[in-house]
Amino acid sequence: MNIDYSQEAPAIAGRLSLAEIEELVARPLDTKPDRKYFIALSISGSLLLIGAVCLAFSFYYGIGLWGNNQPVGWAVPIVNFVFWVGIGHAGTLISAILFLLRQKWRTGIARFAEAMTIFAVMCAGIFPVIHTGRPWLAGYLLPYPNQHSLWVNFTSPLLWDVFAVSTYFTVSLVFWYIGLIPDFATLRDRTTSKIKKTIYSIFSLGWRHSSRHWQHYEKAYMLLAGFATPLVLSVHTIVSFDFAVSILPGWHTTIFPPYFVAGAIFSGFAMVVTVLVFVRKIFNLENIITMDHLEKMNKVILATGMMVGYAYGMEFFIAWYSGVQAEQFVFINRAFGPYAWAYWIMVSCNVIFPQLFWFRKFRRSIPVMMVIVILVNVGMWFERFVITVTSLHRDFLPSSWAYYTPTIFDMGILLGSFGLFFTLVILFTKSLPVVSISEVKAVAEGAQPTHHGGHHE
Amino acid sequence: MSDYREENKQHNNNPDPNYWRSFEELYRNEKTLEARHHEFADGVTDDFDPNENLSAISRRKFLALLGASAALAGVACSDYRDKGEIVPYNVKPEEIILGIPNYYASTCTACANSCGILIKTREGRPIKIDGNPEHPVNQGKICAKGQANILNLYDPERIQQPLKKTSTGFDTIEWNKSDKDIIAALSMAGSKEIAILTHTITSPTTVKVLDDFKVKFPSAKIYSYELFNSSNRNSAWLKCYGSGSFPLIKWNEAKVIVSLDSDFLGVEGNTVENKRLFAEGRDVNKKSFSRLYVVESAMTLTGINADYRMRLKPENQFAFVMSLMNELNKKGVISTSLSSEYNLESFVQKFNLDKEKVNHLVNDLASNKGKSIVYAGDLLPENVHIAVNILNDLLGNKTLYRNDSSEVNLINLSSLNELKELTDKISNGQVAAVIHLDCNPVYHFPNDLNYKNLLSKVPTVVTLTERMNETAQFSNYVLPINHNFESWGDAKTRTGLISLQQPVIAPLHNTRQKEAILLTWISTNPETYSETLYHDYLKNNWETNIYPTLKSKIDFKQLWFGALHDGFVLTNDSTSSVGSVNLAALNASISNVESNGMTLILRESYQVGDGRFANNGWLQELPHPVSKITWDNYAALSHNTAKSLNLENDDLVEVSVDGRKLTLPVFIQAGNADDTITIELGYGREFSGIVASGVGFNANSLLSSKPGLSNWIYTNASITKAGGKYPLASSQEHHAFDNPRIQDLHIKRHIIQEGTVALYEKKPDFIQEHRPKELESVYTPFQYNEMKWGMAIDLNKCLGCGDCVVACNVENNVPVVGKDQVLKSREMQWLRIDRYYSGSPDDPRVSVQPMLCQHCDQAPCENVCPVVATTHSPDGLNQMVYNRCVGTRYCSNNCPYKVRRFNFFNFRDHFRDGYQESSILTLMFNPEVTVRSRGVMEKCTFCVQRIEEARSEATRRGTPIKGTDVKTACQEACPTNAIQFGDINSKDSEFYKYRTHELGYYVLEELNVRPNVTYIAKLRNIHTEEL
Repeated sequence: MNIDYSQEAPAIAGRLSLAEIEELVARPLDTKPDRKYFIALSISGSLLLIGAVCLAFSFYYGIGLWGNNQPVGWAVPIVNFVFWVGIGHAGTLISAILFLLRQKWRTGIARFAEAMTIFAVMCAGIFPVIHTGRPWLAGYLLPYPNQHSLWVNFTSPLLWDVFAVSTYFTVSLVFWYIGLIPDFATLRDRTTSKIKKTIYSIFSLGWRHSSRHWQHYEKAYMLLAGFATPLVLSVHTIVSFDFAVSILPGWHTTIFPPYFVAGAIFSGFAMVVTVLVFVRKIFNLENIITMDHLEKMNKVILATGMMVGYAYGMEFFIAWYSGVQAEQFVFINRAFGPYAWAYWIMVSCNVIFPQLFWFRKFRRSIPVMMVIVILVNVGMWFERFVITVTSLHRDFLPSSWAYYTPTIFDMGILLGSFGLFFTLVILFTKSLPVVSISEVKAVAEGAQPTHHGGHHE
Repeated sequence: MSDYREENKQHNNNPDPNYWRSFEELYRNEKTLEARHHEFADGVTDDFDPNENLSAISRRKFLALLGASAALAGVACSDYRDKGEIVPYNVKPEEIILGIPNYYASTCTACANSCGILIKTREGRPIKIDGNPEHPVNQGKICAKGQANILNLYDPERIQQPLKKTSTGFDTIEWNKSDKDIIAALSMAGSKEIAILTHTITSPTTVKVLDDFKVKFPSAKIYSYELFNSSNRNSAWLKCYGSGSFPLIKWNEAKVIVSLDSDFLGVEGNTVENKRLFAEGRDVNKKSFSRLYVVESAMTLTGINADYRMRLKPENQFAFVMSLMNELNKKGVISTSLSSEYNLESFVQKFNLDKEKVNHLVNDLASNKGKSIVYAGDLLPENVHIAVNILNDLLGNKTLYRNDSSEVNLINLSSLNELKELTDKISNGQVAAVIHLDCNPVYHFPNDLNYKNLLSKVPTVVTLTERMNETAQFSNYVLPINHNFESWGDAKTRTGLISLQQPVIAPLHNTRQKEAILLTWISTNPETYSETLYHDYLKNNWETNIYPTLKSKIDFKQLWFGALHDGFVLTNDSTSSVGSVNLAALNASISNVESNGMTLILRESYQVGDGRFANNGWLQELPHPVSKITWDNYAALSHNTAKSLNLENDDLVEVSVDGRKLTLPVFIQAGNADDTITIELGYGREFSGIVASGVGFNANSLLSSKPGLSNWIYTNASITKAGGKYPLASSQEHHAFDNPRIQDLHIKRHIIQEGTVALYEKKPDFIQEHRPKELESVYTPFQYNEMKWGMAIDLNKCLGCGDCVVACNVENNVPVVGKDQVLKSREMQWLRIDRYYSGSPDDPRVSVQPMLCQHCDQAPCENVCPVVATTHSPDGLNQMVYNRCVGTRYCSNNCPYKVRRFNFFNFRDHFRDGYQESSILTLMFNPEVTVRSRGVMEKCTFCVQRIEEARSEATRRGTPIKGTDVKTACQEACPTNAIQFGDINSKDSEFYKYRTHELGYYVLEELNVRPNVTYIAKLRNIHTEEL
């Protein structure tokens, strides 16, 4: 292969002019939704409704409708929580960390990934509230002054979770919105509809594309990126503390924070690829979200997948090395006990199948990557299931062991969370620019001054 | 402007030279000057005068009216539901102080043992049953059924009115009318028989009532029966010693106990007393240990406590005793001229017994003559009992028969033949009336007596019962009777003692005491009935018949009230001593049953007895002490038998014997004898209430009026796979014996630490060697300088019966969750008895361990609760704040003992369509314990309500609270006193000895959570040091 490393590969393909970029991205917002859109929306809406019905039953009768039992106090709802928080990791990573690292290829996918982050964290945020026995008292988890002088327990990781997730959500939302401001202005200037114009005007905060605006904007964006970067690491670290701070074998592990962060990026990227493959096809964004971008994402998936695999192996090693019987038992029980099926689904989906990404051909093949990223999504859900359920179902006293089986309500609520996620994604595609117009324009060929003085032939 | 100048001129005031705020002031208007002395203007502070115009209303009044009307509007519009009034006593009963419980001594009638009980009442409601501490038999303890009997009192499904059968069902009827009808029917009986069916009668006064009845209605005949009884023992004693009444055993003095298929710790005899005496003989503090050999077919509660256990089919027990006798004869230990065709060696070989264990048994019996007891089970046939009696006699073990007290049978039980005569008479139309006196023969009698169908041939069938049952269903009149706690009575079950029963609450429904109903009929006038009818009769009977025999120095009234207070009186009956044995009885009974097929054994249920307690959710949900299965009975098979038949747990099978068939699920019970099928009776009730319905299988259908080996044991049974599964709900997961990963985990993890008596004698602190060192803490731990509560559980005494579990349920308002929730592993019991097996499935070693909140000093549950709903008290309690609990269940996840219980539903509403929310059941709640709502975590509190009660009592006394002031409910109920509770810091207390015992250890000590429940390691009294 002859690759010219002296030249930076273009971040977008097809030599689109700035006007073409704008047109490409903004077109879906100007057209009426077609039939396919409504079919997609009705499917995701139905899933959401299934979840809402299951949730309503759970509220009315109690969470006994779920499969949770005496040793297994946490199960599918917490699995879903960790899963969705993990999905929510890719967006901020792409938009903040890759921004700081000056990765231009991020521009095409950052907006969408950020939106997915926000939606995923919204999905995740539901679960800690609904999984409690008395969700109507969830306000007790907030440290608000009250006449009883009752305070929250700052030693509980669950409380840290409340802060970590809400901070992450707020910062992600603000970051996303800041990025949207120039695009809102562009849309405002383009649209002929009065209502849209009003809305866009409000949200564009009086943006006039002036150099001053751009200067402030760049600075603010940079600062927020710097602010969001540690959050990417901290959120899942703190989520992992929910487990790691406990004394339960299989949970009580110091490897959890990096392991969870790697896993979160792994699953987040997998979800972003899953969705983007459709988005670039449906909205004809192949030139903006290019195969190169997808390939890079697949490389990240391969790397983080191996980190996760390393963690799986290291857990076994440490369990053996610790000499603690209960610790050793938990891991052997994971691989060979009643939940071995879940464990091996996890290992094969997360460690074995992503190895195909070593091959460039597979990295650049849409069907192959679709299969793998969906398997990764499945595998990562099972990873959380394995961690949560298999550690709990057989802990210290064999007398209290019990098998856990999720019920139709558990599964309905999981479906509902997917319904919520995709409903929000689908609504997003028709109401906001799915790609950052201003950022993509900035990396378009010829947009920036070069040493070659304009176009290079 | 001119006005005020004019005015001021009139008053001729000069302008004020100083400061002025208005022209009036400047010109010194008098009114203004006057006003300056008042804070408020006129009219502002006036009282409201309704005669004046309303507009003159003052500002204050206006605000007051505004506030009042807003408040009124708020109250009027709020959604306040009147939940009834709480009205203080208008005229306070003398003996009741609100908030302070009263205790009344009475007698338990849950079974025929008639233990003395102490009923705790609050504001007139009985809420808890404990043993009467002064009662000589049960000495302050009461079994699970006795404890749970409180639920039967408040059972919303009790019949509340007399019922008369109509073509469509049952209609309510007035007592007067039903009495009239029945009296007429009885009077017209003439020479036709009036059959009265009853369970064991333990009350001398009831016997007198029945005698009166027989005088009034000469054709009356009493049939007394029990599904499970000691008739074989009785007849063996009759043949051996000429008297059917057998003595009680000094279990506490025996050095060697050989139990042959006898569950004397579980269901046979007065188990409360047996357990206490047995545990007295195994005292780690006195370093004295009896040795228990158990040779049995089914794994029983007695079997799991054995030092040596062997499996043997019941039909071989006779040959076993004879071989044993022969062997002892050969060795010259005893001398007898009995036939020598029995050879122990060949017996051992033939039935594959453990040679070493048998040798130990022979040697122990030989070296403990006069200090050992061989005891055969009630289910075994008469000849085993005869052989055992003779063996005990030859070994000189009669010294262990108690001569202070022996069993008393007021009315002998009817034999199966007598019952057959009754059914013959019925089918010949010779019976005018059948009266079921609180019994259920349709359910209990063998099906081949055809009793159910024959009842339609009886013109008048009357059933006196608390709740509907199979028999009441086929009766013309169903008369509701008072519960135990609403009744008067007396009881005599053994010599030297009569117990008294007194009501502690007026009848909740329109019910009558069964004796009073009979007395009304005897009088032939329905109007005779009054609420005091039987009370007067009882008192009168005592005054005329019992008082003179007591030869008391005090007058009757004093004695009567004293006896009521105490719950019993001691009598001076003569106890017949055991005479010399009739050896010939044995020769006549030698018979050898050869069987190669399956043997069916029908046993009494540990939980629901003979079915009487089937509608009691607490008992249905009490895990079986061995299998841990709740809410069902099953066919228990041995590991090998199940394997050879290719059966697994929960497989449905058809058990058949002589054409009688029953389909039920299989449970593989470790330690059961091969080729035996063990089924517990008492389940499969019909028409018996919403709790009992659909629970288990009616294995009474396998009974026959033609006994097999005995009434309960049938050889040549068969078992075939019926196809399908039926899930059995167990409170403990069943683990494969052959899985090396999970085998013996309880030992590897030091959860169960055991040793042997021999090892203990050699090295008393052997347990301490395994204990981890206490870790240094980076924090300064909280100093418990004053009081610190702790518990110690002596596993040498704990038998695993589960009486404590029910006591805890009653004390702490623990709901019943139902089978579906047990299947999901969501039991709510705060205290559970863990049962572990080690060794092979054929000969497992069984360990039990009560597990409850350990109240850890460094409780892992506490630091993970995000809302501080679980906290630690300065006296060492781990507390739950229900109001604050959000229900994250994090505490439960982080609890290494998994003793926290979560309200996944409002279980009271969820179980059987809100059966437990019935308003009458709420009367049963302990008012000192919060009833927990849905979504809240709960757990053992060390009975904090009792601690607080003791604390306020101590404050009232003006002394500091002491550890001995408090007894937890489980501790109070434990029949063997295995549970000790007290102040850890009180170094001179008895409890402190347990806390610092050399055999003491904590469970999962290495986690450094610093639990406060000490377990005293169990010692096995075997011949080796190693287990």
